[in-house]
Amino acid sequence: MEKKLGVYICKGCGLGEALDIEKLEKKVPPKVKIRKVHPILCSPEGVDLIKNDMENEGVNTVVIAACSRRVLWDVFDFRPAITERVNLREGVVWSHKPREDAMPEEGPQVDEWIQEMAQDYLRMGIAGAEKIEPTEPYKPEEEINKRIMVMGGGVTGLSAALEVAKAGHEAVVIEKETKVGGFATKMRKQTPWAYPYEDLQEPVIEQIVKEAEANPKITIRTETEVARVFGAPGLYDVSFKAPGTESKWDIPAPVEAAEGAEAPPQPPGADEATPDNPANILAKDPEAERFGAIILATGWKPYELKKEAEEPAEAEGEAPKEAEGEAPKEEEPTYEHLGFGAIPDVVTNVAFEEMAGQGKILRLSDGKPAGSVAFVQCPGQGSDADFPYASSITSMVALKQAKYVREDNPDAKAYIFYQHMRTLGQNEYFYKSIQQDEGIFLTKGDVVSVSQNGDGLVLEANDTLLGENIKVAVDMVVLGTGMVPVTRDDPILNLAYRQGPGFKDLDLFDGYADSNFICFPYETRRTGIYVAGCVHRALGIQECREDATGAALKAIQCLESANRGVAVHPRSWDMTFPDFFFQRCTQCKRCTEECPFGALDDDEKGTPLTNPTRCRRCGICMGACPERIVNFSDYSIDSIGSMVKAIDVPEDDEEKLRVLILACENDAYPALDICGLNRLSYNAHVRIIPVRCLGSVNVVWIKDALSKGMDGILMVGCKFGDDYQCHFIKGSELADIRMDKIGEALVSLALEKERVQQIQIAIDEYDKLPGMIAEFMEVIHGVGPNPFKGF
Amino acid sequence: MAESKWVEPDLSFVKQLKTLGGDTLKKCYQCATCSVVCPISPDEKPFPRKEMIAAQWGLKDRLVGNLDVWLCHQCQDCSTYCPRGARPGDVLNAVRSYSIAEYAWPSWLGKLVPDGRFWWLLLAIPVAIFLLLLSAIGHLHIPEGEIEFANFFPTLWVDIVFVPLATFWIPLTFGIGIYRFMNDIHKKAVADGKAKRKDLNIPDFLKSILCTLPTILRHSKFSQCTENKDRYVPHILVLFSFVGLFVVTNCFFVALYILQVPGPYSQMNPIKILANASAIALLVGAIWMISNRLKDRGENVGKGSYFDWSLLVLVLGLVVTGGLSELTRLAHLPALAYPMYFAHLVFVFCLFAYLPFSKLAHLVYRTLAMAYSRYSEREPCE
Repeated sequence: MEKKLGVYICKGCGLGEALDIEKLEKKVPPKVKIRKVHPILCSPEGVDLIKNDMENEGVNTVVIAACSRRVLWDVFDFRPAITERVNLREGVVWSHKPREDAMPEEGPQVDEWIQEMAQDYLRMGIAGAEKIEPTEPYKPEEEINKRIMVMGGGVTGLSAALEVAKAGHEAVVIEKETKVGGFATKMRKQTPWAYPYEDLQEPVIEQIVKEAEANPKITIRTETEVARVFGAPGLYDVSFKAPGTESKWDIPAPVEAAEGAEAPPQPPGADEATPDNPANILAKDPEAERFGAIILATGWKPYELKKEAEEPAEAEGEAPKEAEGEAPKEEEPTYEHLGFGAIPDVVTNVAFEEMAGQGKILRLSDGKPAGSVAFVQCPGQGSDADFPYASSITSMVALKQAKYVREDNPDAKAYIFYQHMRTLGQNEYFYKSIQQDEGIFLTKGDVVSVSQNGDGLVLEANDTLLGENIKVAVDMVVLGTGMVPVTRDDPILNLAYRQGPGFKDLDLFDGYADSNFICFPYETRRTGIYVAGCVHRALGIQECREDATGAALKAIQCLESANRGVAVHPRSWDMTFPDFFFQRCTQCKRCTEECPFGALDDDEKGTPLTNPTRCRRCGICMGACPERIVNFSDYSIDSIGSMVKAIDVPEDDEEKLRVLILACENDAYPALDICGLNRLSYNAHVRIIPVRCLGSVNVVWIKDALSKGMDGILMVGCKFGDDYQCHFIKGSELADIRMDKIGEALVSLALEKERVQQIQIAIDEYDKLPGMIAEFMEVIHGVGPNPFKGF
Repeated sequence: MAESKWVEPDLSFVKQLKTLGGDTLKKCYQCATCSVVCPISPDEKPFPRKEMIAAQWGLKDRLVGNLDVWLCHQCQDCSTYCPRGARPGDVLNAVRSYSIAEYAWPSWLGKLVPDGRFWWLLLAIPVAIFLLLLSAIGHLHIPEGEIEFANFFPTLWVDIVFVPLATFWIPLTFGIGIYRFMNDIHKKAVADGKAKRKDLNIPDFLKSILCTLPTILRHSKFSQCTENKDRYVPHILVLFSFVGLFVVTNCFFVALYILQVPGPYSQMNPIKILANASAIALLVGAIWMISNRLKDRGENVGKGSYFDWSLLVLVLGLVVTGGLSELTRLAHLPALAYPMYFAHLVFVFCLFAYLPFSKLAHLVYRTLAMAYSRYSEREPCE
């Protein structure tokens, strides 16, 4: 496309007063013929001015020097023309207080430093715009499939299927048991979910099952398991099998890279990769069924308490399996002091619920009705930790089951010994109503022992609210064990992805299917696969239903986005996708390995195979590529590099050091805009370029900046680590690793390592940014100007 | 680690406390705000938080005989600040009501008096006794002439009822109750580690009573209450009017039997002035207390149970019938004066005969508990 640039400078919002607009206009390179200044560019007249030029002058690339790209984007929407925004308002004028003592004696009262900043940004915007190409949305050759596979036929799965069906899509529910409904069908009652949140309610599962079975858009397949999921969102090919059986389409077990190995080993069978060899993960089952998106609602399984009778030999047998993974798991605690395994009347809350669901509560030892039951929420022994995987649901279950005891027998007594009573939100009303029952006795306490005492049991507890160590005689003891997400021990999904069959790094979340609770509750690290229910976190039935709705809508959004060729999340408007220049690929596999979303597979030679519908457009592959062959049409090595090169670096000026800030556009760049909105001033010698993610920063930009003579580079991104806030999970962490490596390279060039730094910030910490920038400037002043200046 | 103690909740105890005004006891979630805001709770092992969980768990043996339950003056600061509306002040009051019945001898009377269903029976007993007596001596009619109550109900016959009541019935029944009570609170205070002094020495204990009296007479505990400080004046009025009436009764007893001066006495008689003043104070105090009870303190704080109200009504009845007997007598209205006097005698009988079983027993139990608290050095002597 022949580009014809038009540059439009706005004088509104204080720009005209703080800047010498005339001088600024003169900085537009002479080759740009169309350059206009308008008092209020976002007014209808201003917009008409641009539209007029587009129509009559053939302008197809618009550079708007006004406010931040984060505002008024709907006003300055000139698609299909390319629009580039130069942030003079939030980025220059609002965020930089003029130095009153540095005003020129004559001419416009403009601070030279601020003027230079605006000029640089204008040049950078024009340089970037020249390198941007128009975007064509990705359309796969085959039609996007709009059916949704729901894995798991419990409350969550069925509710999700119902939501999918209500929205007009087809859903197929896969359940490995002989009938759907899950654990909810075994319950006696449910905790309340409606006002006044006080009384136990009849289970709703029956009705959900009926509705799902009657819905023509829902197909339920029981006694079915997933052997392999091949493909990408919109184009998943799923192979099924009977539970517990082997299928030739079972996904081959992943092989972990050996210590110190250069490249990861090939998966088994990859050598003989033929399209129909199932041992190759790239092989496609001709009989597979196609789906567009997947909802994972496989739920939980009870935490298995280790019984004291268990032989250690059994554990040894499992040891090699553990050794394959990362660090061996911590030794499972045993609960000998609670008599579990030795005393038949000590049961788990799951066993108790099943018993209550079937009828009266009876002692397992002699079948007599249980007149008093103790619910133990915390195993004690000097720690106040609850049983593993216990949660607020465990607390609610204890309260509910205490009520069962009382329902069965008005003279019965139910004791609850807890360290934490978690009744969140409206559930506090339920707690209050349970408290009202004369026969339910609650106390915080450290349960020391449960032992047989003649016909019954005796429970001893220390440090109770009763002020001393107590013992109570009970007929039964119920242990409040937790709910383990099935994803902890099993990939479940069986994805034919190069990065493995399940979700990655789930140990960060104790095996719960990953997501960012606050920002993206249903997203996983696999686009097209959305989680809901207890696989996600321990939830009550009503919460599961709500969760299912969210995941169902997300799955539908995925189908629609894939169909339009835009990213699903979080760049849900983005039509660009990474374009690989394969002729120059060296098969280093860095992109395949580093993509946090497993979007890239690779062929037998190691050349990446793209799956655009899996891609989130973060650009981490672009940042990873040492050959710089990965680019987006509107965001490329060249476009950012050209912007860096467009910065005017003064030579021999100790005062005017130049620092490049690469700011993540998810949190850091908005935070800088907020600084402007709040008139927080920061150093005027920095030049900021927004990037999609710090992970997309290619080292070559750092080199460009340093060889240009810039004195330092500050990368501002999201927090990484266990409680990461990176919108692309791994981006800021990868950037940190890469920058560490570039530090070594700098030292070898006799440049100081301190010149390149990365800081982490959340959007609400915007007020700290000016200080952080000042701190970095001080470091740069300390190490002095870049010795390569002027070369 | 201390030896574990057996704990066996008593469901019926919980239910009973609920009927005695402690209906909110199960709402407590043990935050201990109550113990913190209580102006009169000792620093060591403060109440009422621990009493609240004991009540929830139906642990009768930790509450009945618990010294602290009686140190509580129902200020209601705790109830006002309770974030859960558990009303600890009312719960402890319920425990005291329960305890009075628990120590009562004979125990059936301990059950009967607090039971709202039998108020008529309690009134019927003196009515029947007096009617029987009057008919036996042939006085079951309104006498002619100048109104003189002795003409209707000869003083001797009145005293044949009341003197044994005061000298035999009360000492016997209350004595047994007090004996049980003292043993219990001493045993428990020692076991709970609240008593620094482990023995129970009678002379020293009597000294502690003496040292407690100024506190009681000055109502210095009441005066520390903030939420319920409006009860300070009426309670002091009622206490002192009872003291006044006690003095008056004894003086007239002496006047009648030793000095042989029968009534009615002149209104200018200093004893009579004391009597009238006490009666007025009692009337004011009783009405004031009732209106305080009816005050809306939010969350039904301090509304009281039948047990509380029966005493209030009894006192009001006592003073109203007493006052009206005198006024109707002075107004020469025999048809009103004599029945009023009869009613007054019924109320007086009730006050005396049911003293160890009614709320009025707190007069003694609380005094003893406060004295014991000083004796055992849980609290200092003022």
